Amino acid sequence: MKNPLLLVLISIVLLPLAVRPAIASEIWIFAIFGLGLNLLLGYTGLLSFGQGTFFGSAAYVAGWLLKYYGINVFLALGVGMGVGALSALAVGYLCVQRSGLYFIMLTFALNQLFYFVAYQWTSVTGGEDGMPGVPRPAMLGIDFSSPLVYYAFVSAIFLLSLLLMKRIVESPLGKILVAIRENEVRAGAVGFHVPRFKLLAFVIGGAFSGLAGVLYAMLFGIVPLESISFVTSGNVVFATLIGGSGSLYGPIIGSVVFIWLSESMSNVWARWPLLLGVAFVIVVLFFRGGVVEAWDRLFSRRKISPSRSAH
Amino acid sequence: MGQALLQTQNLTKSFGALTAVNDVTLSIAEGSLHSIIGPNGAGKTTLFNLLTGTFPPTSGRIVFDQKEITGTPAHRVAHLGLARSYQRTTVFPALSLLDNAWVAAFATGKSWDGLLFKKSSSYPEIQERSLHALRDVGLESKANQPAREISHGEQRQLELALALAAAPRVLLLDEPAAGLSPEETRRMVALVRALKGRYTIVLIEHKIDIIMSVSDRISVMHFGSLIAEGTPGEIQRNPEVRRAYLGGVAA
Repeated sequence: MKNPLLLVLISIVLLPLAVRPAIASEIWIFAIFGLGLNLLLGYTGLLSFGQGTFFGSAAYVAGWLLKYYGINVFLALGVGMGVGALSALAVGYLCVQRSGLYFIMLTFALNQLFYFVAYQWTSVTGGEDGMPGVPRPAMLGIDFSSPLVYYAFVSAIFLLSLLLMKRIVESPLGKILVAIRENEVRAGAVGFHVPRFKLLAFVIGGAFSGLAGVLYAMLFGIVPLESISFVTSGNVVFATLIGGSGSLYGPIIGSVVFIWLSESMSNVWARWPLLLGVAFVIVVLFFRGGVVEAWDRLFSRRKISPSRSAH
Repeated sequence: MGQALLQTQNLTKSFGALTAVNDVTLSIAEGSLHSIIGPNGAGKTTLFNLLTGTFPPTSGRIVFDQKEITGTPAHRVAHLGLARSYQRTTVFPALSLLDNAWVAAFATGKSWDGLLFKKSSSYPEIQERSLHALRDVGLESKANQPAREISHGEQRQLELALALAAAPRVLLLDEPAAGLSPEETRRMVALVRALKGRYTIVLIEHKIDIIMSVSDRISVMHFGSLIAEGTPGEIQRNPEVRRAYLGGVAA
């Protein structure tokens, strides 16, 4: 894996040959979601169990605007990022005041709060039935309703997201977040207002989640209630850990594994989550750094890169 | 010696029934090396925690450069020009030595422009300052090694580099030689001596011979209170100090 970016590009081209375009799209959408989570989980050391809040909120708001106001696709993405960032600002503000288990429980509890609002507010969200009829309006002569065109669009947005996240983790902010993960007290003592930096990570992660949420709603033409539930929050944590939370590319690999497995196995074998369970146990027991670390250990025998730590 | 740069007035900190720092009035002259000694549990580290804003005092004031800074939180104290090293090594293990210093240098840097998108290598001044801090403590050759891979002695040096990288006006060093071998201790003493005069230094140390050889002034704490202050010579002759120390050893 000398050049991971090149590998990502090749995968984008080859993936539609292996799976249906809708699934291929879902993989990169979930990868964007994972990139956002990993800024919190891998870089800042914050296990957020409530990323579904931002994913779902953005999907509902942008989905509503697409459906009833016919806004264009790019505006929808912008709205999604905004809603994701704003909801993350609100949730993050409350959560960064606490640490450890209390932090995790707060992200989870607030996720439940959003979930029940969506569940009860049936006139807008459709409750348990979800919000159907989210369109992918054509724009500039591009017909997004074609699955392959939409796949190309999702891939482009995913690549941009990846480059943006790469830029962020290589910026001073990336180093500061790792410093906070490594030693919160010292990070404060050298002069960083730690809660504010955690909040910033939350907001950026929220914007990525929101972006993924809107793309997801447009992909399936519906915002299912599940998109704002803790299951979604759990899945992204799960996928990221399987891929490897210690590296930028971990969540991408995790997304490929997770979506591929869940989509291909769910039709064949109803108890496919067992496989995920086994994969998770193997990761936790032997490869804390996920697939990325397993690859490093088995093939290149490189030392774990300095940006990674033993959690 | 210059005028007072850092002062405390009747500084007190109580944790419940325990008064860890009791009515301490202290004045650190600019450019001096002022040591604080005392038996274990005398309240020295608590005093440092108060000075750097880890927690606020129960009563009393802290004045830095003629401005009252009592109750200023730690992350803002760093920006005022007070940097500390810790008694127990507390660095960023996964980061390289250079990045350790870099983060500390960036924190107190002039501008945070490009915080989210500039490459960290495109801050030449921060880069230079952090390299300089590593050079000062003699770790330049290991700049790219992760902090968790270096020896305990070297981590103590890195601890100091983190404080230096902030380009502070006052260095608060909490037992920089804690847990070092005699050879490493000698190197650390040479290092502290080299820093003397360039910074105003407040030093906590247990090893009396180090204190006597490097300090300009010494304050002695016992059960949270100051019991003596003076030059090394005066402190050495002070009967009360001897009693406190001998008592401390016997207990």
